[in-house]
Amino acid sequence: MADILGTFEQAVLLAVVRLDDEAYGRAILKEVQARLEREVAAGAVHATLGRLEEKGFLVSRVGPGTEIRAGRPRRFYCLSASGRRALNDARAVANKLWHGFRWPLKGSYERTDASALG
Amino acid sequence: MNEPTPPRWAETFLRLLLNSRDRETVSGDLLEEYRENIHPQRGQGGADRWYLSQVAGFAFRGNWLWAALLSGSFITRTALDWFVPPSNFYTRSFVSTWLAVAILFCAGFYASWQSGLLRSGVLAGIATTLFSAVICAVGTGCLLAIRHDAPTLDAIQGSGGLAEVFTLPLLLVIPGTFLGAVGGLMGGTARRF
Repeated sequence: MADILGTFEQAVLLAVVRLDDEAYGRAILKEVQARLEREVAAGAVHATLGRLEEKGFLVSRVGPGTEIRAGRPRRFYCLSASGRRALNDARAVANKLWHGFRWPLKGSYERTDASALG
Repeated sequence: MNEPTPPRWAETFLRLLLNSRDRETVSGDLLEEYRENIHPQRGQGGADRWYLSQVAGFAFRGNWLWAALLSGSFITRTALDWFVPPSNFYTRSFVSTWLAVAILFCAGFYASWQSGLLRSGVLAGIATTLFSAVICAVGTGCLLAIRHDAPTLDAIQGSGGLAEVFTLPLLLVIPGTFLGAVGGLMGGTARRF
């Protein structure tokens, strides 16, 4: 397991997966905001997209602009094979960490499974 | 029909902050969000404020490291002068001055090397000093809150007084602009090779 993704990175990657062919900067920003249920700065999303692309988790291509954006092009993102692996790894780690607990946690930590890992 | 437009100078600022690869796409994303979502919801003033906050976010992300280094060196120097006052300030002045020069030069160099524009270096110099001034004001205030006994207050007077500590970081915007420009010139030139 090479690189564990942070929560925000996972939110951005999953937004790219959800948006499929329509995954460009502004659409990703809105998707991330909707999923995290909070305002997110455009700069944060763009910095994360750049970082994930540098790591090889995303690939991008430039597509045509529209009138509302004064004809400026859009950069469309798509998940790479290593991005998919990283997301799967992140999910596997989370599952492993939560294994044996009921969610949401209450005052006394309820175990669903008395057996230890392994 | 005329589409609503964010302040022209803010758009220019934003484009200077972005590298050449993202300049059109990212500024297009912000313009689209401004016109399609923010302006109809918040009106011209609110949308302009939103746009400015986004540009400030880009400026901070691009320059926080330089601002942290500059303010860190300034606060360290201030702490030494207040808590371990020297008999002669020359060595400390020499070191802190040239450290600040190097940081501001690097900020300009890196910004122009990324964007390919000299103006990005100038903007990086200005942004770095402004963000640094805010951090310095907070940091110096904390130092004062931690220790304000009589010997410390004497040392503060002996090192130039409180006014200097709070105004100097802001005055650095002038040499910061110049050094950012010099760094930007070198960074822009280095990018061509």
